[in-house]
Amino acid sequence: MDPAEAEFLAEQELVTIIPNFSMDRIYLIGGDLGPFNPGLPVDVPLWLAINLKQRQKCRLIPPEWMDVEKLEQIRDQERKEDTFTPMPSPFYMELTKLLLNYAVDNIPKADEIRTLVKDTWDTRIAKLRLSADSFVRQQEAHARLDNLTLMEINTTGAFLTQALDHMYKLRTNLQPGESAQSQDF
Amino acid sequence: MGEAYTPVETGLGTEESFLSLADILMSQERLPCRAEIKLPRLATVLGKAATASASSDNALPEGSKLEIPLWLAKGLYDNKRRILSVELPKIYKESWRTVLSADANVVDLHKLGPYYYGFGSQLLNFDSPENTELAQTILQTFIGRFRRIMDSSQNAFNEDTSVLVARLDELERALFQAGQKGLNDFQCWEKGQASQITASSLIQNYKKRKFSDLDS
Repeated sequence: MDPAEAEFLAEQELVTIIPNFSMDRIYLIGGDLGPFNPGLPVDVPLWLAINLKQRQKCRLIPPEWMDVEKLEQIRDQERKEDTFTPMPSPFYMELTKLLLNYAVDNIPKADEIRTLVKDTWDTRIAKLRLSADSFVRQQEAHARLDNLTLMEINTTGAFLTQALDHMYKLRTNLQPGESAQSQDF
Repeated sequence: MGEAYTPVETGLGTEESFLSLADILMSQERLPCRAEIKLPRLATVLGKAATASASSDNALPEGSKLEIPLWLAKGLYDNKRRILSVELPKIYKESWRTVLSADANVVDLHKLGPYYYGFGSQLLNFDSPENTELAQTILQTFIGRFRRIMDSSQNAFNEDTSVLVARLDELERALFQAGQKGLNDFQCWEKGQASQITASSLIQNYKKRKFSDLDS
């Protein structure tokens, strides 16, 4: 899976916009949107919000968690705990990137937010590497990674599963009897 | 173009996979053996001792030392009819096993391998008394080197990785590439390059071929 595909899924997330046009309710396959009234907040999927923003038809309201104080708290919490802490959004990385790329004028303290999210990401990836190492060292066969987001799983997923696949095969070499039996049938 | 091309992967068990090119290359590696019986008409092919054997039927005498490819050794080996006895290559012997268990990271597996894991797994077919220790060492070597492969593949971005890769065995190199791909894809996406449309490598290669046609 590409990061672009993860981004595609992230674009389904709802964000709040303030449109500057009026339009009736629209009926889309994935749900109904609108009605749109100038100056009144309305929830739309991110892909539509970005499209409207590019056509200068709306103003984006940043999500509640995209705030310097809250992100600082999240980062500190992440550094304190050994396991992964819950993230404010399952697509926090994608949302940050898209919102800061296309609607940077609607987000206060955009640079600080970018740095904080990047710090959180780096902390989590370092933690992921650490836990992957101890996972391999103890030769575990399963693990629970509840609060990892799709993008994080995606960047190391292929590597990790391939390594564990090799490890599994090397480990089953230790029990030669079983494979020999299955050959008889 | 890489996505539509899925080569057959290596077996890495005690059985290699039949159509895997990597496994075919791996099984070409030589294995030290000793002939337990006389092998008629094979001295010119197999033995360097061919000149010494002046016998009439050009036979390879019993007890001669051979260096034959793994696939041939596997084909001739049978624990009932003793045609061959197989010796472990030196890197799978006790002395090197001790070195690997001390610190697997310092060993140059490319120079010693380059198919350390695959070849080692295949060696388990020869019912050596040291099989358990051998399999254990191979597994522990992989586990010991895992962290370094992961860290170097996930951190080295836009760098010349040849120094890092030089000491990895073929299996580890594939793993390193997988890690690099994940990192590179993410970095491209973060910089916004993923949304740019680029020419397919197929087209680029096609153009190159045209130029080379003009030259000739």
